[in-house]
Amino acid sequence: MAHNARKSLSPAVHSQRTLRVLGTDISLLEAIRLRATADLGFNIEFEVLDFISCQRKAALSPEAYDVYDQCFHNLSIVWYWGALQPIDTMGLSSWDKVGPLTKLGGVDKYANRGVGDVPMNKLYVQPDHFLGPDETRYIAMLPTVHNFDSFGYDTRVFQADGSQRESWAMLFDPRAKGKVALVDEPGIGLFDAALAAEANGDLRFENICNMSPAEIDALFKFLRTQRQEGFFRCCWRTAQEAAVLFRRGDVVVQSMWSPAYNELGDATQFVREAVPAEGYRAWHGGLSIARHVAGPTLRMAYEYLDWWLSGWVGATMARQGYYISAPAAVREHLSPAEWDYWYNGQEAVEDLLGAGGETFVVRKGAKRSGGSYLDRGRHIALWNTVMDEYNYTMRAWTRFVAEVNGKSR
Amino acid sequence: MSDASAHLKTSKRYELVAAALRSNIASGRLQPGFVLLEGPIANLMKTSRAPVQAALRILEDENLICRFDGRGYLVGRAGTRATPLRRDIGELRLRIPNEIDTALQNRGLWERIYEEVESAVAACLIFGEFRIIESELADYYGVSRTVVRDVLGRLHERGLITKTQSSHWVVGALTAQSVRERFQLRQFLEPEALRLASDRIDRETIRRVLQQESDCNPTTHGGADWMQLDRVLMESCIFQAPNGHLVDLIRQNQMPLAAASRALTKLGLPEDEIAVSEYLMLFKLIAARAFDAAATYWRSHLGVLAEKNLARLKIVAVITAAPIERPYLTPLD
Repeated sequence: MAHNARKSLSPAVHSQRTLRVLGTDISLLEAIRLRATADLGFNIEFEVLDFISCQRKAALSPEAYDVYDQCFHNLSIVWYWGALQPIDTMGLSSWDKVGPLTKLGGVDKYANRGVGDVPMNKLYVQPDHFLGPDETRYIAMLPTVHNFDSFGYDTRVFQADGSQRESWAMLFDPRAKGKVALVDEPGIGLFDAALAAEANGDLRFENICNMSPAEIDALFKFLRTQRQEGFFRCCWRTAQEAAVLFRRGDVVVQSMWSPAYNELGDATQFVREAVPAEGYRAWHGGLSIARHVAGPTLRMAYEYLDWWLSGWVGATMARQGYYISAPAAVREHLSPAEWDYWYNGQEAVEDLLGAGGETFVVRKGAKRSGGSYLDRGRHIALWNTVMDEYNYTMRAWTRFVAEVNGKSR
Repeated sequence: MSDASAHLKTSKRYELVAAALRSNIASGRLQPGFVLLEGPIANLMKTSRAPVQAALRILEDENLICRFDGRGYLVGRAGTRATPLRRDIGELRLRIPNEIDTALQNRGLWERIYEEVESAVAACLIFGEFRIIESELADYYGVSRTVVRDVLGRLHERGLITKTQSSHWVVGALTAQSVRERFQLRQFLEPEALRLASDRIDRETIRRVLQQESDCNPTTHGGADWMQLDRVLMESCIFQAPNGHLVDLIRQNQMPLAAASRALTKLGLPEDEIAVSEYLMLFKLIAARAFDAAATYWRSHLGVLAEKNLARLKIVAVITAAPIERPYLTPLD
């Protein structure tokens, strides 16, 4: 027992003041960890995984983390696995600042709500422990960072500058053959492909965000044909990989995540973020708390959640093109030029720095594609979604990606 | 033939083993603290281990036996602290009721392996499509191709496997669509069966379950879990409907759902505690002979169960490899 007694005097004492956050590189930036540690006065550990590995770990090893930083559509898996606990909104000082997109379902009353895993439908913990849109005191996830995604394309190939109609169909345009990439995540990349297949008239889905097995089979049959015809370059998992693909000239059209546009280097001159006629594929991130968390760690978790919406992080997120659910506090942490470019869709009046604060990612005179937050937020086609047939889809998707990337499973 | 022996004839092997052990626990031949091991019981009952495993789980659910720090189970409820008594079960001169013994011995060879194959096949359903290779199946159990065909024929009849155009046996993936359709069918059939069964319902069992729950300390949660309550609902209420075809249809429709549910529970999904109170509510209605209300309640509860099952099915997607190690089952691309 002497050994155990010594052990309890070791750094384990300090580790009691550590909050472990599991998430992806969308939001777990080192700068954020350092700032949070300084502001909150306790240690913070980030574990950064790709989307699918992160989801698996969150579901299967809830003891391995305290706070889960992920997307709302992910709750279909992780919440129902019983890995998370309800968050008491009465214990959050930031709750009142959260905007209408998640609380009411749209950026304003005129906004297109979109189909699929609309975050509002997964926000509130209902009395039967299901998640639903009816307001209760408890939420499954505090809404944080979000965006309205589309695809990026090489304007030299498509001879377009955004003045012409941009459509998801461009992903399967014959001019792009051999130089197309999709994001490897069946709740995300699958919908880029499905929107494209529907837009170019190859397929039609009764409900694109809740496909039947027959529709899924048809989609994969279509994708397999495209692959055999040599359309796909690869499937990627991180924004960095996507940026490299454009920089190297390996692709001319592909799924894109906002931070990748900041890392294009010289390719910035000819890569354009599309404003698809069909609408954006939206997503919404948030913070959840693991089931096991209690006592002092639970208090730390609530403090960390509130801190996320206190302004500084929102500004950091804005500099990589992401919006935050409580934008009013962010304004104090952005210069007027930054606010006008990122949130208002106005022309940059000066060069703007990126999230790291070292590199200019927006040049003077540039204008954000799609316009202001309201313009973009009103134009949602669908949300990243875990469909009812997710299990069936996931297995088909894994096979497809292995074929495209030329790896055996 | 009496009703009881007719029932035994159609009972599954594990039910027979459970019945044999249960009667010996009741008579005291298997005394509290006796250590029950699968192997010796399988030898005694001349069966494979799988039905013994299933029987022991049932008896554990019924609080007749419990797990302990050693291998096997102890006779007696959990927490009774009986000293483990290790003796050869063969020396105990257990009394196996004649009818059970006959039913056990009358099983054809195919039935001996059927249950194990069925449980392996059922565990695959949620992990995508699998092909069953007849020759491997025959080799694995050391039986002839004729026996294998009997087994596969029965699996086919029960809707667990299908035959492809090229005459291969395939375990089809359980899709959300088929889960939804099967629950819809349950909503059509089961409330009606409950209504038809009204006077034949074993109300004594229902009363006992309700009594046990009200005796339990709510903070420690009653002895029952929802699967146990579901079994009581099916066996003592719905399957009592005086329409054999209807009962067969209900059983068959439930089979892949129950199989998937067992597989999901094995993956470590948490128990659904809210479901327990919902079953108890239903039992209260039945005990009060409010059969119309009970049927309506069950129909709406099945709708909720469908949603829960769909949510649970999505979860399996994070498990990449099927934990199935049977040489006769190979994943299909």
